[in-house]
Amino acid sequence: MSSEPIERRVSFLGDRLKASRCQICGKEYFEIRDYCSNCGRKSYMKMDAVDLFYDKGKLEMCTLINEPTNKFTKLERFVYGIVSFHDGKIRVPARLTDRIIKENENVDFAALEGREVLPRFRRRYSVNKSDVVPTISLAFTLADEYYPHQEYKIIQPTKEYDMPGVVGYGVYTSRFRIEESGIHRSVPFTDEDAVTAAVEAGKLALIHSAVDSVQVGKVYVGSESNPYAVKPVASKVAQVLRLGEEDGDIQGVDAVDTEFACKAATSMFKDAAALVNYPKSGIKYAMVIGADNSQAAPRGCPGGELDLFVGYGGAALIFGKQDVIAEIEGWYSCTSDTPDFWRRDGEPFPMHGGRFTGDPAYFKHVRKAATKLMTKLNLKAGDLNYFVAHQPNPTFPVKVAKELGFKDEQYACSLQVNKFGNTYSGCSPVGLAAVLDVAKPEERILMVSYGSGAGSDAYVLRTTSQLLDKRQRQKMNIKYQNESSFLEYVDYTTYRRLKLGM
Amino acid sequence: MQNRPAIVAVGRTKFGEHYGKQPEKLIEEAWLAASRDCGLERKDLEACYISDCFLPITNKLGLEEGFLSELTQLHSPMEVTRSVSAALLTACHAIKAGAYKTVLVGGIEKMTDRWDKIRDDLMLLEDPWSYYTGGTPEANHELMLRAYIKKYGIAGENLVKLNIALAQVAVKNHANATKNSYAQYQRRITVEQVLNARKNARKSLGLYDFAPISDGASALIITNEEEAKKLTDKPIYVLGAGSATDYLNFPAREDLTHFISTKVAMENALKMSKVSPTDIQLLELNDQSTVMEMVSLEDMGFCEQGTAWRSIYDSCQNYKGYYEVNDRKLFTNLNGGLKADGNPLGATGGAQLFELFKQLRGEAGERQAVTDKPLRYGCSSEFEGFGTKGYVCILGRD
Repeated sequence: MSSEPIERRVSFLGDRLKASRCQICGKEYFEIRDYCSNCGRKSYMKMDAVDLFYDKGKLEMCTLINEPTNKFTKLERFVYGIVSFHDGKIRVPARLTDRIIKENENVDFAALEGREVLPRFRRRYSVNKSDVVPTISLAFTLADEYYPHQEYKIIQPTKEYDMPGVVGYGVYTSRFRIEESGIHRSVPFTDEDAVTAAVEAGKLALIHSAVDSVQVGKVYVGSESNPYAVKPVASKVAQVLRLGEEDGDIQGVDAVDTEFACKAATSMFKDAAALVNYPKSGIKYAMVIGADNSQAAPRGCPGGELDLFVGYGGAALIFGKQDVIAEIEGWYSCTSDTPDFWRRDGEPFPMHGGRFTGDPAYFKHVRKAATKLMTKLNLKAGDLNYFVAHQPNPTFPVKVAKELGFKDEQYACSLQVNKFGNTYSGCSPVGLAAVLDVAKPEERILMVSYGSGAGSDAYVLRTTSQLLDKRQRQKMNIKYQNESSFLEYVDYTTYRRLKLGM
Repeated sequence: MQNRPAIVAVGRTKFGEHYGKQPEKLIEEAWLAASRDCGLERKDLEACYISDCFLPITNKLGLEEGFLSELTQLHSPMEVTRSVSAALLTACHAIKAGAYKTVLVGGIEKMTDRWDKIRDDLMLLEDPWSYYTGGTPEANHELMLRAYIKKYGIAGENLVKLNIALAQVAVKNHANATKNSYAQYQRRITVEQVLNARKNARKSLGLYDFAPISDGASALIITNEEEAKKLTDKPIYVLGAGSATDYLNFPAREDLTHFISTKVAMENALKMSKVSPTDIQLLELNDQSTVMEMVSLEDMGFCEQGTAWRSIYDSCQNYKGYYEVNDRKLFTNLNGGLKADGNPLGATGGAQLFELFKQLRGEAGERQAVTDKPLRYGCSSEFEGFGTKGYVCILGRD
């Protein structure tokens, strides 16, 4: 049994690591306080709010926990200790995450102590299936490992565009990988899920765009692996990333989840663009996130074929009209009621229509959306610099690209399914991000998503010169996430266990 | 002082697992032992001060006061605290104020009823934020030890000695418990066993560094001085009792190597008792872990900060039944401490005071401290949580 009010209070403080600082003596507290215990009544209402979400901490001391309390048994073993912020002004309990510690492994505590660490938004511990999913950012990773420290610096925009477009983006995939027959796929750590991936992607997009989170007026999160059947991922994203004007404990932002298999996020690109372009909306920026802990039944079970390709991660894009890096030139969407892949309510894993997921489903819709949009904009394959398609497996996107007349150099850099697996709602946005990572200014990108059920969204984007200006702001780019020396490969059994999560 | 509070009788159960016994049977057993000693009846009790840490959670009780009054069959005032020291403190206040003349101070805990969940219970009670982060009841002790080693720059040969000294704390407590028929573990352990357990745990503390999970009850009968003299010719007086609090969250505390709550409680207790610390020869420390016993020796002022491990190490090279600190003999945890006597949270403090009472009266049998000058004062320290609340009691005889 869980207590919703307690969950609310703990996650409200703990997800963002909200702290306070006394204006008079400078003492800091890990909590929201109205007065300082040093200064007493004279400090009343003189407490500044600080949060530690983007800060670096220091692991002061640590020990190994190999007989955890009941709610942590799924983590098996972990390093636990004390992290300090602001030169020791604030000290908090800490769990090091993203580490698999083997049964007989000796952890060198001295080698960890004194290292810089970053707070990570994660699931807190295991609860019953019917309970609220508890989260916390008192999980940490080492700052000099896979996930680098990046300052979130707000930069005032300099240029207004006529057309709305992408102003920043972020892709998050985990540190763990599985490799089978040449295909590398990202694997979540036990405490990660679609919600934590959505938050991480959104955080990276904010860092990249340098947009003030207060000015993000709407957030859409597309996912098919939300841990809840009812309760949005977007509300968590809005709270943790402080989107919209904050008033007390409420964010002035419209947050909504969307669902349409793997096109839940891409479908909203045009809605986000239209919203920021609508003069009376008063919304400067809108964020679209696609994130999934892509589900698949174990191999050998019905639906188990998907287990060869599923990945974990998410992509977030921020749309606006200022300091645009890629303008949206046009779009086309199509839909038909084709049941090629589905997951019934209450079922843990999706089913799919076997060979019917190809021609009558994926190819038909992707082809249709791509050709219609190219015709609409009077573009031929040769007029486009890049083609990005949804990537349920390594063969489909190549086949459709060739069929549409694209050459290897136009689509090769978008193919990420070999590196991260199919991240479902995050899949084609990850492909788009891979292209934006390398594209030059004034280049055209055609992106076509596909969502089972079925439909496709096609977009043509044209990059601007600001693409290059912003590129160096993002250390967590696609190349880095593919090539980092801190990636850790796991075997199939570990992969299934990690994916199942807490 | 007319209303000086005195302990006239004590009782306790064996600590350990009492699978078949209801909690009220345990406290009844302790009370009966105490009442038999001084010849009091239930109806003579004017009030009860009962300590239990989380009986309502572990045993799914209702209001403890009601639950316990069923067994006393008395509709008397009852206060429930979380430690015997806290109950004693409240009882002494009432005696001194003249509100009551005869009261019962009891402690009860039944932890094994919730064997599979007890560590979660303990952690949630100790500090929710540490629990949310994955902390275990053992982790803070290990972190404190690491902080201690760092702060005092203990390395090389000294570090080896410190680790052995901590092992000797457990070995010594187990040896003491072999003479205590109430103790949970009445068997000896060796330094090698303690060190091997640490090696198996792959960290600085292992299984033998920690007090166990226990069931048990303890009871003390407290009266004012006048009543005490009618009931016994050897009353033991509560000369000083102090308490203090600290942050719930261990990492948030100013000093990660010491318990400020104990320091403050000790100062207050000494001030109240007017006893000089040099006259105290008998100690009952709250060794939830071997680290706690070491640190408490410093926090209570018996050892200089950062030196207790050396005194323990030197004393245990040729252990004579006491720690030798600055040429003084400190008889410490003669009942086996929490480590071997057991640690049923709400009853633990009662067992510590039970031991002081027996020792000061010279009734401790083969455990009796053999001192150069007559044993006059004894001192106990107790915690609620991981140093969140610290209590110190100083007992003495005429």
